[in-house]
Amino acid sequence: MERRMFLSMLAAAAAVRETGFHPFTSTAYAAEGKPIKIGFLPGVVDPFYQVMQLGVESAAKQLGIEVVTQIPQTWGVEVQTPILDSMVARGDLNYIITAPTDKDQMIGPLKTAADAGIKIITVDTFLGDGDYATGPVTFPVSYIGSDNMEGGRISARGLAKAIGGKGLVYINSTNPNVSSVEGREKGFKEVMEKEFPDIKVLGPDYNLDDMNKAQQQTAAVLERERDLAGVFGTNVFSAQGAGNAVVNAGLGGHVQVVAYDATKAAIELMNTGVVTLVLAQKPFDMGYMGVQFAQADAAGVTSLPRRVETGFAIIDKANVKDPAVARFIYQVP
Amino acid sequence: MTATPIESRMQRPIILFSRIWPWIFLGLLIAFFVAVVPLASNGSVNFLTIRNSQNILVAITPVLLLGLGQTFVIIGRGIDLSVGWVMSLASVLSALAIRTVFNAGLPLSLSIVIGLLAALGGAGLFGFMNGVIIAKLKVPAFIVTLGSSFIVRGVALLMSENTTVIGLPPGIRDYGNEALVYYIRGEGGGLYLLQRPDVGGDLVRRMDAILPYPVVLTAIVVAIAVFLLHKTQFGRHTYAIGGSPEAAIRTGIPVDRHVISLYILSASTAGIAGFLSTLRFAAGSAVIGDPLLLSSIAAVTIGGVSLFGGAGTVIGTVIGALIIAVLTTGLVMLNVEAFWQFIVIGIVVIVAVLIDQSRDLIISRDRAGQSS
Repeated sequence: MERRMFLSMLAAAAAVRETGFHPFTSTAYAAEGKPIKIGFLPGVVDPFYQVMQLGVESAAKQLGIEVVTQIPQTWGVEVQTPILDSMVARGDLNYIITAPTDKDQMIGPLKTAADAGIKIITVDTFLGDGDYATGPVTFPVSYIGSDNMEGGRISARGLAKAIGGKGLVYINSTNPNVSSVEGREKGFKEVMEKEFPDIKVLGPDYNLDDMNKAQQQTAAVLERERDLAGVFGTNVFSAQGAGNAVVNAGLGGHVQVVAYDATKAAIELMNTGVVTLVLAQKPFDMGYMGVQFAQADAAGVTSLPRRVETGFAIIDKANVKDPAVARFIYQVP
Repeated sequence: MTATPIESRMQRPIILFSRIWPWIFLGLLIAFFVAVVPLASNGSVNFLTIRNSQNILVAITPVLLLGLGQTFVIIGRGIDLSVGWVMSLASVLSALAIRTVFNAGLPLSLSIVIGLLAALGGAGLFGFMNGVIIAKLKVPAFIVTLGSSFIVRGVALLMSENTTVIGLPPGIRDYGNEALVYYIRGEGGGLYLLQRPDVGGDLVRRMDAILPYPVVLTAIVVAIAVFLLHKTQFGRHTYAIGGSPEAAIRTGIPVDRHVISLYILSASTAGIAGFLSTLRFAAGSAVIGDPLLLSSIAAVTIGGVSLFGGAGTVIGTVIGALIIAVLTTGLVMLNVEAFWQFIVIGIVVIVAVLIDQSRDLIISRDRAGQSS
């Protein structure tokens, strides 16, 4: 039964395409029981968004929804906006699931899309302050993601536990004024200040996405602070460079390194002792729920939460074999 | 006509100063950090330690390797903006090659050699492509290499399937991070060759790794580059083409062929940089070289290579790379806030280029005077 409905939906979609008819209001379209069509526009090509794409595709397949995916080659408003504009110009998309590359600068382009009748769901990153119910930006349907501040907090607690609640820790980050890593730094510092008075935070230094520089900076900090106990790398690249400096100084296992994001590379670094802890987000959940939310909204569901926190998992050597934890590793086939 | 005696009397010291300026600056910089770092830490931290010197040498390897080929290209009045991405491609290619042949049963050392060949081959091919378009089709170098950097980027991302290439043989990290000599200071210490001594606790803190393998390999490449630029006909032709391409053609230098080989050379040193990064980080990355392009051109410029071609040395580039790395490490050791680090590094680069340009201005004024 379900399959036959799916097939008839496909046929209807095909018929629409052949006649060149493009609906302008998604809700009317959906109300007639026809399938919606979703655009997926993540932030940049990387394993995190690839896993998110798997979530999107998996949900779309189960719900019989067609998805058009466009992935920017580099992170940035000036790259994402033209792709967004071209998705809007297609005229056949009812929903766009996107990770805005800037919480302020992307408001305009996405509002334009919304005004053209396309409903917006943001995943991973948000617009404004992320509160679409009472915040400054209210036009998107929902935000589904894990807050970087919270990720920083959880990283801080994980690192604090690993170093016994006291000592010096150092932050190595990518670029200043990038909302994602900035949030991670803030959350990390906040928890260390409030919950761990015996831990002092140094840095951040910025490696400008240069792994070699991350290694050099961490090596210099290790020279300066002989009793450094831990390093927080705000992304895998930073943690990899920092961890390399730690291992080369012969301090692998003595200085604990936290990596943000559970790419397979991060897990391999943990297995070889370069990093100690890996923080996993749940990009699959974000993508899957994004599509579900679109479907539900199109069907007339009115009580969708405006903000969904997907949460985190901390992976270390002790739990990485546990299937309940290992499934959070960003597995891209 | 020749320049008037007054002009040449002014020129000579300026040209001499611009030539030795990088050395002076590096010396001053090191002296500054040697004096200030202990002050900032109440005497507990020193700048001039064996470990710190080795850290700095490791840090310059990728920047320097990119800069070495670039030195030849810029002296030859060109520029290669694709080196960062070529390095990334080489990193991916070498990682894929090493993983494939090692899993097929080849021994680790042989797999690594094949990895180097893959890196050089892939990089060299793009260098050849750059060179042919620039030399034969007479398209400006910065347009060609900017364009090809997009192609290289795409190829690297495709080949790596847009993720870090992992699953390399476990022993590979040693080749990129271990050193020729280990020295443990003080009691219970000593000198160890080729093998990291298996010690723990306090001894680890007193152990220095001297001459890590990436530094050794880079030093060999530097030596070859010095020989090539300063002792061979290839080098003389490079200066001649940079000084005046028209004159070089008239004197019978095969300019097109030479320009092509310059870009192959530039891509090759970038290829070695990518190969080394694969060994150092035990993974191939399609984005690892991108942020290094500017640093490498800065190193070349600070080192006194004229952006207008015809002048510069390999050792100048080495000094230029060292200046940037000493600054980076020194500022972190002084615990200078990150934003001030940017400002200081930016000022140094601009001052260096200003001095370089003052020399070029004087030389060009002299040339203008001659032709009038």
